[in-house]
Amino acid sequence: MHPIDLAVVVAYVALITFVGIRFSQRVKTAKDFFLAGRSLTWWVIGLSIIGTNVDTNGYVGASGNAYSIGIAQANFEWIGAIPAMIIAALVFIPLYWRAGVYSIPEYLGLRYNQGVRVVAAAIVVVVSVFAMGVAMWALAITLQTFIGWPIWLGILVSGTVVGLYSVAGGLGAVAITDSIQVCIMFVCGLIIVGIGISDAGGAATFMHKLTAENPTHLSAYLPADHESYPWQGVILGLGLVLSPAYWVGGQAILQRTLGAKTQWDASAGMMFAALAKTFVPVLIVFPGLLALVMLADIEYPDMALPWVIKNVLPVGVSGLMFVAIIAALQSSIDSSINSTALIITRDVRHVLMKNHDPAADLKIGRMLTLGLLLCAMSIAPFIGDLGGIFNFLQFLLSLFQGPMLALLLLGALTQRATATAGIITLASGVMLAGFLSWVIEMNLLYVAFVSFCYAVPALWIISGFTQPHSQEHLQNLTYSPWRSQ
Amino acid sequence: MELPVVWANYISIALFLLLGCGVWSIPKSAVVPKEYADVGWRDLRWWATGLIVFQILLYAFFS
Repeated sequence: MHPIDLAVVVAYVALITFVGIRFSQRVKTAKDFFLAGRSLTWWVIGLSIIGTNVDTNGYVGASGNAYSIGIAQANFEWIGAIPAMIIAALVFIPLYWRAGVYSIPEYLGLRYNQGVRVVAAAIVVVVSVFAMGVAMWALAITLQTFIGWPIWLGILVSGTVVGLYSVAGGLGAVAITDSIQVCIMFVCGLIIVGIGISDAGGAATFMHKLTAENPTHLSAYLPADHESYPWQGVILGLGLVLSPAYWVGGQAILQRTLGAKTQWDASAGMMFAALAKTFVPVLIVFPGLLALVMLADIEYPDMALPWVIKNVLPVGVSGLMFVAIIAALQSSIDSSINSTALIITRDVRHVLMKNHDPAADLKIGRMLTLGLLLCAMSIAPFIGDLGGIFNFLQFLLSLFQGPMLALLLLGALTQRATATAGIITLASGVMLAGFLSWVIEMNLLYVAFVSFCYAVPALWIISGFTQPHSQEHLQNLTYSPWRSQ
Repeated sequence: MELPVVWANYISIALFLLLGCGVWSIPKSAVVPKEYADVGWRDLRWWATGLIVFQILLYAFFS
């Protein structure tokens, strides 16, 4: 690595650590730690959401995919995100705010019962711990690729930096550092677009060169018989089930909206994130297309982004781009750690331990943050050997996502769904998903869609035969803007 | 018989138009706090509309 690039990296690490530690002086209570004292403004929330959302797959993997399939990769940022984000901003975030909850499992506990809350919390915790290990491993691999650090050193240094501001500053520090990290990502993205289009001889020439050899690379959708991304699968699976499940029920994403200073800031933050999300393909899709236009000599598609950094960007900017990749990973890890610590502290400890002391939440939250970080750092070196673990996580998610989304949608939008029906639907929906996966060996994306299609009518019908909560109880837990008029 | 791929773009555009109708069916009082009722840019339904229009243009362009 060039000394100027190295200086850029060192300056970034110093800046993030300084900002994070400085923010820690504001943390006095558990509310300060987990919800930033409900002080976040809309633009910080929006940038932080994007920082949490864009991770390793988003950066390196998406560029590689764009190299292979073209602009269709942007569907994950457009129809696979924007509609769900708008619905989250206008419907679900006001609802969570009115319910006064700290987490999505807490909302489900109020809307259904504590059993649903603990099951939802347990799923999030198990998936998050392994996902953090995967992210930490990816970060170490990136450091090894670019600056030759051994895996253990990469994990130790990145874990220490993330730990310094996450443990000390909580959500406030995480949100502010995320915002800085996203700004760095967008600056780098714009520089790549500028240099790339200039080198190609202008936008029109760029598009002509791209489509000359790859005629479908500027088509938003791929044919119905495409192996990985048939257009029906993208609209039905991604657009209608997976995307809403992520944007409406994802704790790490929604936690910063619950830390907003007003309900309007929370909703506007998500809306601003949707605007930024529209332009995320500039960061993660364009480099893949650029590598193709510039006839990059690469062995496999995931090498597209590293090739662009090495061969297109000038000294200093390549260091900044390297920082942007680290930033993308760090902002995902820190958000997961903070949200998982919150869920264990409140949704597991408060429910299972009858004599819990709420005043100890801050101390326990900090200890859990540190513990989770150490856990992720311990798992990370072995992720490479456990190739199946990521598939296992995807499998676990596919079992629960469909029924959970059904519970969330019907629970929030109607007063009909009952606690008993919620438990029965969750259990039977997961069993159905397991049957589809193990016995029929259905694709995981379709498992989520089919189990969702089962869970919605099941919850609706069973609720008709079981005892609902009182209307008074449900008043602040269901979305009904027309009724209040 | 399979629909041509371009129909995916048409369906996406139709879904976004439907979403736009849903957005404007939400009363203003549910979106804008009373203290900002007269401040036009605080109405998040306009923000949503801007996003939807932009998405429609994207799916019309990349068809």
